[in-house]
Amino acid sequence: MKRLGMVMALGALALGCGDDGNAPAEQQDVALSFAAVVGEEPFVCGDTYENLGANGTPLVLSDFRFYVQDVALKNAAGAWVPVELEENSFQSSGVALLDFEDGCGELGTPELNGIVRGTVPPGDYDGLQFKMGVPFEINHVNSATAPSPLNLTSLFWNWQGGYKFLRIDSGQFSETDWRMHLGSTGCEGDPMAGGVTSCANGNRTEVELDTFDVSANTVVADFAALVEGSAVDQDAAADAGCMSKPVDTDCGPLFANLGLSFGENPGGEQQFFSAE
Amino acid sequence: MKHLLRTLSLLSLILWTGCGDGDTASGAEAWVWNLPDTVPPPRVPEDNPMSLAKVELGRFLFYDTKLSGNQTQSCGSCHLQELAFTDGLARAEGSTGEIHPRSSMSLANAGYAASLTWANPAVVRLEEQALVPMFGEDPVELGLANMEDELLRRLREDERYPPMFAAAFPNQGDPISLDSITKSIASFQRALTSFNSKHDQGSSALTLSEQRGKALFFGGTTEAGVPDALECFHCHGGFLLSQAVDHDGSEFNQQTFINNGLYNLDSDGSYPEGNEGLFDITNDPADKGKFKPPSLRNVAVTAPYMHDGSIATLEEVVEHYARGGRLIESGPNAGDGFENPNKSAFLNGFEITEQEKQDLIAFLRTLTDEDLLTNPALSDPFAP
Ligand code: HEC
Ligand code: HEC
Repeated sequence: MKRLGMVMALGALALGCGDDGNAPAEQQDVALSFAAVVGEEPFVCGDTYENLGANGTPLVLSDFRFYVQDVALKNAAGAWVPVELEENSFQSSGVALLDFEDGCGELGTPELNGIVRGTVPPGDYDGLQFKMGVPFEINHVNSATAPSPLNLTSLFWNWQGGYKFLRIDSGQFSETDWRMHLGSTGCEGDPMAGGVTSCANGNRTEVELDTFDVSANTVVADFAALVEGSAVDQDAAADAGCMSKPVDTDCGPLFANLGLSFGENPGGEQQFFSAE
Repeated sequence: MKHLLRTLSLLSLILWTGCGDGDTASGAEAWVWNLPDTVPPPRVPEDNPMSLAKVELGRFLFYDTKLSGNQTQSCGSCHLQELAFTDGLARAEGSTGEIHPRSSMSLANAGYAASLTWANPAVVRLEEQALVPMFGEDPVELGLANMEDELLRRLREDERYPPMFAAAFPNQGDPISLDSITKSIASFQRALTSFNSKHDQGSSALTLSEQRGKALFFGGTTEAGVPDALECFHCHGGFLLSQAVDHDGSEFNQQTFINNGLYNLDSDGSYPEGNEGLFDITNDPADKGKFKPPSLRNVAVTAPYMHDGSIATLEEVVEHYARGGRLIESGPNAGDGFENPNKSAFLNGFEITEQEKQDLIAFLRTLTDEDLLTNPALSDPFAP
């Protein structure tokens, strides 16, 4: 709380000094657009979408949020240049929350965010890289003192420490509603270290959009592509949907579409994000 | 009682200011561990030193139903003092009626756990563990997810709390925060030390039967002539009566997860789905059925037993170990736990006479600490 206040105060100070935030003058602003869709349709919190997954199931979607980290742009020389993320209520410590739900579900918030803001050295850029996730070093520190957007309790992932990197819910939160919550699993802790020391499965989706025009393109996250091949009407193991538990075989096709390894499947190219 | 507590928190306030500007280190000095010589103090995180004011605030928060979304439950609803902070249920029931896959655990000596909950190596701090029942959605316990602002509002509006938070967290502009809530509750739980049982008074305080039971528990020879037949202490030894212990002076990670042969659903040694212990975290089949050996302190009042409350009485627990695993003859959980491939090599069964069984149980009953169960300083301040 206190830290959030401080960050906000800093933000206000920076605003007073001009509109380029607190970055050195020679930096160039970037604003990366993100959108959430379900196949051909835009995601609207609370809407029903037909024909999803392996069995063409309809679902009422009520949450769609994800964190991104390690955002970088490709410069003219073909090198990846990290984007220095601005600090604001949707961004802190190099992490940004993309939030497409408007509070239609019980666990949401009215505020929306589809833009990642930051700065890069001046130049031309034509490619985008990022990971869906929260970096390990930030993921396992005390979430009760973390600044926004890392203080949203509906994105806490306490059974393993850390955060839900991706949260998509259907319905209104009954045990049988399909939900996907993605986070690190297989974590180990140490009482002397006072926290998590490693996680076997980081579960951070790596995205590389080789041609991406920052001013014209949008990163699109497609729910239909996420559940492609997944029987969202069935619950083969553990929870309805997928809470990332290694034992939950329902996660298999979803993880494959995120390019993440799961069980025997080594993972590969992610299908969830594309440039448009 | 109320009066005493007020005096206590006042006293701590005086100590705080007396030690300078009320920095955190001086607050820690105000707290005195009331422990026997044989027991080291628990590990206390540097950023959350103990203080009387914090423990007292933690006690109120622990028992306050404002800490659940629908204001029907508190931590204390599943962790009742008179049951050594368990709930008497096989499986816990959350504030929205959702049944937890597991049994509520005793919080006696929670500050000494090498890992928290039945089988999760990742959870090692009480401050962080508290977030699980508060905000967890799978299963819902207190059901506070997304209600953090509402929770803080409820506490700010209750005139009791602002001064209590200010006393527990001096030098903070706005001390009512999620962080101070989890820190206070953690401090209260660290204060739930329980080393005042008959067993702690030494063998001379025990009846002959209890002494015989104690000997069997700690490696004695059975009437059948087998030394260390029962092997209990290998997993339930030390001052905590659990190997999975951590304290102030621990230099090694003593997290322990063991399969004690409760189930054996298939050739992999599976336990009922969704409740397979360490395996649920690691996905390694060799971890199926591995759980933390709980402390046996106060075990006489913490029935039913095991991670899913599937053993009702201490008699049946002893029979379970005597057989070296549980045989379930029919139904969805049919299988012979004795044959579980992941079962600990210590658990091979033993011959035990009826008298020896009664002796062992008599010893287990000496582990009850009446102080813990009745101490007004740990009790529900909202109780009518
Ligand atoms: C709905 C009932 C319920 C409520 C409410 C509840 N707990 Fe628990 N508690 C449990 C269950 C069940 C477990 C075992 C969980 C597991 O193994 O996954 C547990 C385990 C624990 C443990 C681990 C103890 C050990 O030795 O490893 C601690 C500590 C704890 N609870 C503290 C709390 C606190 C603090 C609160 C309030 C913020 C709370 N509990 C609220 C049911 C509950
Ligand atoms: C090889 C390690 C090991 C040995 C030896 C062992 N236990 Fe256990 N004990 C455990 C584990 C692990 C659990 C929790 C298992 C679970 O819930 O799945 C447990 C659970 C218990 C419980 C239930 C406690 C509760 O709060 O639910 C009791 C009682 C108990 N043991 C008593 C004994 C006695 C008496 C002996 C000796 C006859 C013994 N144990 C020997 C590992 C062991």
